[in-house]
Amino acid sequence: MKVTLKEISKQYKGKYALENVTAELENGVYGLLGANGAGKTTLINIFVGILKSDKGQVMINDVDVRSLGIDFLSHIGYLPQFPQFYKNFKVMDFLRYMCVLKDIPKEQGEKRAKELLDIVNLSDAADKKIGALSGGMRQRVGIAQAMLNDPDILILDEPTAGLDPQERIRFRNLITKFSDNRMVLLATHIVSDIEYIANDVILLKEGQLLKQASPQALMHEIEGKVWSVTVAEETIDKTLDNLKISNMMRDQDGIHLRVIGDEKPDALAVNVRPNLEDVFLYYSSEGEQW
Amino acid sequence: MVKLILFECRKHFLKKSLVIAIILFSLLNIAKVYSVYNDHSLLSKKSDPLWNNLYWDMYEEFGGTMTDEKIETLMSIYKPLEKQTADKTASTRSNNPDTYTGNVYNDYYFFRWNFVNPMEYAYMYKNYANDVAANAKENMDFYESLGNQYEYQKNADIAARFKGRNVEEFSYTEMFQYYIHYDFSALLVLLICLYALINVFVMEKETEMDILLLTTKAGGLRTTLAKLLSSAMFVCIVCFWFWSIDFVAFSSIFGSLEAIFSPIYVIENFANSSIGVSLGTYAMLSNLVKTAGILVLSLVFLLVSTFFKNALFPFVISMFLAFGVIYTQEMVLGSGRIFLKVVNPFVLVVNRELFRKTEYINLFNYPVISYIPALLFAAAWGTVCILGVFVLVRKNAVHRKGGRKHAINTL
Repeated sequence: MKVTLKEISKQYKGKYALENVTAELENGVYGLLGANGAGKTTLINIFVGILKSDKGQVMINDVDVRSLGIDFLSHIGYLPQFPQFYKNFKVMDFLRYMCVLKDIPKEQGEKRAKELLDIVNLSDAADKKIGALSGGMRQRVGIAQAMLNDPDILILDEPTAGLDPQERIRFRNLITKFSDNRMVLLATHIVSDIEYIANDVILLKEGQLLKQASPQALMHEIEGKVWSVTVAEETIDKTLDNLKISNMMRDQDGIHLRVIGDEKPDALAVNVRPNLEDVFLYYSSEGEQW
Repeated sequence: MVKLILFECRKHFLKKSLVIAIILFSLLNIAKVYSVYNDHSLLSKKSDPLWNNLYWDMYEEFGGTMTDEKIETLMSIYKPLEKQTADKTASTRSNNPDTYTGNVYNDYYFFRWNFVNPMEYAYMYKNYANDVAANAKENMDFYESLGNQYEYQKNADIAARFKGRNVEEFSYTEMFQYYIHYDFSALLVLLICLYALINVFVMEKETEMDILLLTTKAGGLRTTLAKLLSSAMFVCIVCFWFWSIDFVAFSSIFGSLEAIFSPIYVIENFANSSIGVSLGTYAMLSNLVKTAGILVLSLVFLLVSTFFKNALFPFVISMFLAFGVIYTQEMVLGSGRIFLKVVNPFVLVVNRELFRKTEYINLFNYPVISYIPALLFAAAWGTVCILGVFVLVRKNAVHRKGGRKHAINTL
């Protein structure tokens, strides 16, 4: 399956939320990375049809999705940002309800829901009310409902927001599990969510697509622009004023800084291997400093 | 669709707080019916502890088909009492063995209020109805000579409606008298509907489920339709429950259903009623019309709620609107401003205002009996609200209709 986003633009009150975004996606995991307000949710909403773009097209296998009608929705699995679902519904009942909404036959839906609860490790919570679940469990219910119709395209909007590190790891593993033979579009501003699982990263900034490439390629692009330097405690304030810092660590030798910049920040600075967080910081906060 | 409706019911109406509210309001309603009986019934203990038993003893004698013999017997008891109490010089002793209740004044009022006045009204109603029909016929001739077609047709309709009206039986009407004038339960139903329905659309926004729904096949218009249908079902069930409580409570607390087959005009307030059905039929008709009124107001609540993301504002605004229609209806109640009466959907809730009189609306120079435009206006309000909900509710901006099947198959 090939998804083409062609020159998509969307304005709110005269300000571009998305401006001429063009991208091509095929099966695999795509990380849609950008700071808050970069346009990730707007792009997803346009993709699933919740919003109408002012300009541009979303095409699936070179067919405009507008011509596909409502049946196209059965190819999509979607987990929105901050879903709370219905607190008075039990987990299994909620999935049954989602099966009805997705037009999945009863027996097939029942079987699929049980399977998915097993996969997301929520079989024991099937009879628990959603209101009684933790944030992580609720997100797992969210991914289970998104997978009910065995979609070709799985869209997850900030799925790890509010989860603790353990839940986040578990969630990442689930996505990897579900990514086989389908397209997964995962919007996030948390780099670690996609660092190890995304085949491709789409970098958005202020409504514009900055980059689309594999994490390795992106990291390769900024090779030689990430530095490690140790500064004395008393000079830290002055140093912070001029540099873009991706990490700070204090020990007995002083303060170890991970600096991002085109130029060597200090005579003693040494080049280090970039990671995806550095890439994100390099592009998303271009022109901004600590 | 059935499954969607059931899930909607479950989502919005199977809530503990709502069930508790319905139970508490039901108890309150029963208490209120009891207080109506206790405070107003001539046969309640508060009124006079002796009257109840005495009434039913006498009712065995005077109830049923009114005959000259029964009337003579009643008058033979009542006339002497009237004479004795006319100049207020009769004994006031309360243990007089020659009386029914122990006191001659008490006897007088007992017979006057419970038998003489109601029987007189029932007996004389035939004459009254004949007079109305005769006057209407006279008016027809008059308006025909003036060429006033509207008034002519109106009077022709009045004459036809009042012709042959007659009350043959004397029955105990007190229960129905208070039952058909009872509105407290409608207020309770309105409050319950307001509380339950305000969340139907708002809840989806509060939980952000509105977005997820739009990405599913049945989450758009079908879910909206299911919400409307489940809300209508809920309103009908709550109405049925409360109207049943009203009927059962009134009949059991007043202890009688005697007048159920009597014509509606045995109730004095309905002497000029536009309909000639029995009180039992009217009770059913009134409940149906009341339910329709509550349904329309409920649709207004639903429409208001579609504008907001949380429940507080629509609750306050809907409450304001509900009391607004009640207040405006109160303003025109009993007046001749018939148009203002029928345009207000609340008139269906207090529908005796439509049925107790014979009033007409001039529709293109044709007299239409007032309850018809009232029902039509209510239907129009309801339709506007339903359309408004469909227009305002969030829809999937792209994927709505059938689409190209072959294109889907290639995906």
